[in-house]
Amino acid sequence: MPTPTLTQSIVITLIQCLLVVIFVFVVVPLTVFAERKVLGHLQQRLGSTRVASGHVGFSGWMNRTMWKMGRVPVLSYWRGIPGLVGDVLKLILKEDIMPAKADKFVFFLAPSISMVAAIVVFAAISFVPGTFFTFPAWFPYLGGLPVSGGIADINVGLLWILGVATVGVYGIVLAGWSSNSKYPLLGGLRSAAQMVSYEVPLTLSLLAPVVLAASLNFSEMSSRMATGMPAWALVPQVIGFLLYLTCGFAETNRLPFDMPEAENELVAGFHTEYSGMKFGLFYLAEYINMTVVSALASAFFLGGPWLLPFGLQGLLNPYLPGFLSWFGQPHAIFFVAKIVFLLFTYIWVRGTIPRYRYDQIMAVGWKYLIPLALVNLLLAAVIRCFAV
Amino acid sequence: MNKFLRTLIPADIAKGLSVTGKHFSQVFFTANRRKVPFHIVSEYPEVPAKVQPRFRGRLTLLKDEQGEIKCVCCLACEKICPTQVITIEKGKKEGRKMPFPVRYDFEMERCIFCEFCVESCGFDSIILNHQFELAAYNREDFSLGTEGLGQNMFELSPTGKFSVADD
Repeated sequence: MPTPTLTQSIVITLIQCLLVVIFVFVVVPLTVFAERKVLGHLQQRLGSTRVASGHVGFSGWMNRTMWKMGRVPVLSYWRGIPGLVGDVLKLILKEDIMPAKADKFVFFLAPSISMVAAIVVFAAISFVPGTFFTFPAWFPYLGGLPVSGGIADINVGLLWILGVATVGVYGIVLAGWSSNSKYPLLGGLRSAAQMVSYEVPLTLSLLAPVVLAASLNFSEMSSRMATGMPAWALVPQVIGFLLYLTCGFAETNRLPFDMPEAENELVAGFHTEYSGMKFGLFYLAEYINMTVVSALASAFFLGGPWLLPFGLQGLLNPYLPGFLSWFGQPHAIFFVAKIVFLLFTYIWVRGTIPRYRYDQIMAVGWKYLIPLALVNLLLAAVIRCFAV
Repeated sequence: MNKFLRTLIPADIAKGLSVTGKHFSQVFFTANRRKVPFHIVSEYPEVPAKVQPRFRGRLTLLKDEQGEIKCVCCLACEKICPTQVITIEKGKKEGRKMPFPVRYDFEMERCIFCEFCVESCGFDSIILNHQFELAAYNREDFSLGTEGLGQNMFELSPTGKFSVADD
């Protein structure tokens, strides 16, 4: 296998970045669309089924003609999928209003901080250990070179992810402060308090896999958690998964923990004064954060690119018959499928559980989650000592 | 201690999730299937909506096996109708002992679909069918009778009139 030169590896990294950005910008709009549909289905209605295009213009004429023929118009058809395009176009084309007394620079800076903090995390996430694919020999300039499964699979991957993801809170707090308005400020303050308190159990619940796998490298951790664990490690993994998911909901400001934008208390929370693409960036950042949290949960607890969750793959693999060996190997498709399932779970929980009160959130965070995470960590350490 | 345990084990959350998950799968697997006997919700214009068996739709005159109108003009339906939308004119027909309705007019625009006429009928000669897409563009389309091409009392009304806001 040829070793790439510096320029070649830079080009390969750029290609990886492009792939990740494409992945994110495919998953996020689909999640926004799925949110409408899944929420509707959970509440026994259909969600958006079609886009009513206007009665003007060529499309309007076509729609009217088709309705008159007793047919459903094709342009507005197929279960509301065209609404996705409409959503994106609306966010891009809408007028961008800035409050007169806002802090202009910070007001501009806040959405970019949240967006960058959300998307940069993907640098350390590896979708599959080892090579993702190899360029065929006829490919110009890069023929025969392997592309690894993550952009930068660094030694301190988890530390980097947690550190950068925490920067996202700056975006929300700065947005609340710079809008120069009551509701955004309250939303920003709430979000700061909530994020700081939930950062602790989140990190503690992620420490159990760190202890068990004895590594901070993303792909190494996920492969050890999936294949190299004893049966006893199932218990701290399941508890840790539930803890992590709960804290992940709080970290991404999703229901039932959406204090920063509680609609019936603060108009829309920290992004009340935002409009146009600046609001769109907050929106995107929220969904990218959801994807990141799902990616971490699926990598460290649900077995990552392996098929079975909670380290069951390592227990099963010796007994796997030869013709099923494809299922014993890591594949990026399993990883993506788990991410998608967890994104569905996000919407599922949103459609089920109502919002907590603010003091309840704090009580759950400090009185239950942190002690539980500590006990879980102790359990993991004991298993690490005696069973691994 | 009990409260602590209940908080620790997310059984309530799991119960709630199972309820919403059941609703999700019910709607997801039935909404666009044409052949399911009963829909919670359906993607309506593409999937024809099914109604309950006792749904009260438009009034319909029935015919027997020989193609004769079953109605014998006892005028029970006309008398009991709260909004007086039924008008019957008695007549005679060759080779029929019973009286024959020369005219059976039904003004659907005032009908309240109460089904009193069907209940009062001693000869089972009228029913309310399962049709609910009864909107029309003209007022005259709501006057139904024994004669006429589309909107008569024996056949279904022309269906598929989806509502559009213009002309």
